[in-house]
Amino acid sequence: MYHLDDDEYLNVPYYRKTRSVCPECLEPIDAEVYEENSQIWMRKSCEEHGQFKDKISSSAKYYKWTHWAIKDKDGNVIWKFDKDGETNPPDCVGEDPRGCPYNCGLCEQHLSTCSLALIDLTNRCNFNCNFCYANVLQSGYLVEPTLEEIDRIMKHFRSKPIPAIAIMFTGGEPTVRKDFPEICKMAKDNGFKEVIVATNGYGFQKKKEGLEWTRKVKEAGLDTLYFQFDGINDATYEKTRGIKNLMAYKQRVVENCRKAGLDSIVLVATIAKGVTDIEVGNIIQYAIDNVDVVRGITFQPVSLCGRIAFEERQDLRITNADVLKIIEEQTGGKISMENAWYPLTTIVEFGRVIAYLADVEPIEFTCHPDCGFASYLVTDPDSGEMMPIMEYFDPLKVIDFANRFWAKIKHKEKKPLRLFEDLLGDFGKTLDKGLNFLDKTQLRARFLLGVLQYMKKPGKLMEMFSRLLMRGDWESVSSFSYGALLLSSMHFQDAYNMDIERAKRCIVHFGVAMPDGNVKEISFCTMNTLHRPNIEKQIAKQVTAKVRNEFDTTTGQAIEEIEQEIARNGGIKKKGDA
Amino acid sequence: MSEKIVKDKDGIKIRKLAELRTSTAKDYEGAMLKRVEEFKDIKGDKSGFNNLLQNTFFKALSTAFDLKVQVDKALGEDNLKKLHKAIDDILLLGL
Repeated sequence: MYHLDDDEYLNVPYYRKTRSVCPECLEPIDAEVYEENSQIWMRKSCEEHGQFKDKISSSAKYYKWTHWAIKDKDGNVIWKFDKDGETNPPDCVGEDPRGCPYNCGLCEQHLSTCSLALIDLTNRCNFNCNFCYANVLQSGYLVEPTLEEIDRIMKHFRSKPIPAIAIMFTGGEPTVRKDFPEICKMAKDNGFKEVIVATNGYGFQKKKEGLEWTRKVKEAGLDTLYFQFDGINDATYEKTRGIKNLMAYKQRVVENCRKAGLDSIVLVATIAKGVTDIEVGNIIQYAIDNVDVVRGITFQPVSLCGRIAFEERQDLRITNADVLKIIEEQTGGKISMENAWYPLTTIVEFGRVIAYLADVEPIEFTCHPDCGFASYLVTDPDSGEMMPIMEYFDPLKVIDFANRFWAKIKHKEKKPLRLFEDLLGDFGKTLDKGLNFLDKTQLRARFLLGVLQYMKKPGKLMEMFSRLLMRGDWESVSSFSYGALLLSSMHFQDAYNMDIERAKRCIVHFGVAMPDGNVKEISFCTMNTLHRPNIEKQIAKQVTAKVRNEFDTTTGQAIEEIEQEIARNGGIKKKGDA
Repeated sequence: MSEKIVKDKDGIKIRKLAELRTSTAKDYEGAMLKRVEEFKDIKGDKSGFNNLLQNTFFKALSTAFDLKVQVDKALGEDNLKKLHKAIDDILLLGL
């Protein structure tokens, strides 16, 4: 944010109005986002339940920067981090007069397409974490779509005019399902380019058949593990998961993935004050040490559920800005808050240019600037050290050039050159193909030169980057991304800090197969804050004695086994557990 | 080692990172640092990295980068801004 250091904008107190929900009754209420003591807060008032206040960002300066806009000399906004994305047609007409987010399904008020489709495969799990929303034991019912229902959800996401490219299986623990490899294959057959599982590692870590199973799911189409990883200390897992000696379990997952050639693991760390915040540097170093299979880290500041008093909430509340500060502190300033991080929305136009020039489907990060931040660490082949890619470029100037470039060429995406086809038939079609190829080649050259004029450091890495932009093939992408880590911080909303402007722009959507044969598409934060209980009541299957007593009728651990393990390890046993 | 490990009062290991450098993925380090050469060796003629024409082009470009950074320094901020604007205008011309 160096370019704004002398800007008057940073001295003007931040203020905007938005809509939110009452944390008690979940009814819609007006809210204000404002600056106080160099922090950003939300305040709102419910007629019935009183006033609520919650911290949105611990750094007003950083927050304001991410809401900054480039204006022309007449004061018109020509670019901002906050985007309105390209949208798919709505699936339903919003009938609830309260509007967003009560009409999820999706309705016409949504402003982004789905970049990541989610399917809850089960609410069964081999762990029994206190804070988890998806737990068959706590809810008392089983939520587990059939293969036909899963296929229906996949087809829903892939049949849209702008189809979702990536799919993530969530839960519960998705890998307790015996048919998990079949589900991965189904995702590939439906055309998803990236198949991801959010997992604690269960299926991958098994001592006897874990390696074989890992090979099998890779073969079936699984690309990436979104791998629950709270740190490198057993004591941390004991606090977060209630089970001792979990680090060896986590290490087995990494080893089996390495042996099976499943080389895309994203470590997912839930950041809670005083519990996992001290592990941030450890996790980054672990990722660097295992950079042959670890592709990134996602830090998730903990979301707060249930009724929590203001003082207690402030003790627990940790925002994206806090995470970025912790990362800076625990990496000796190498990944600095001021220079290394950008809102996910920054690269929307840049991504569209690259996707168009490389003939691939674009990924639209048109979420809200408050949703998440990212940084990309690359290994410099000249020094061997990892550093943020922003060290090599002047990022905002590159982005500005990409924006203008996209504005000029976007019409070509919808309407490729077609000069000879009507005149000469098939031969003309071939000529048109050749012309389009030449056109794209000259566009690539222009874009490359435009981007590279803002390069700050030469060397081998920039040579690789040039190959990537010009060729865009697997080999050049791989050579550039070897030894690279994508770091991100994603703060999911809860009822205390819910901002409807964020909900409208959500790009991560659950798909749920409803009993009437339709599929409901629901944005992530509203599903977990508002809709889940009602939706699950409609789709829940009765918990049979078998499920209740054996916990897992397929491959997961039996409940007795989990209890024995917890007892053996002296772990924390939850109150009210069977 | 690129780190110093300390323990807090609860015995939690905390690494104080000094450099962001890999310390355990040794087998992988060679591939990571010399990845173009790796692809050349593994894929032989099928690798674009063995294409003489492409390599000449990218080597020339690489030399131009070195030169560009020197020129940037010599030009000063104001002149550089003007130069960037001129280059932008040329590259966006006719699109």
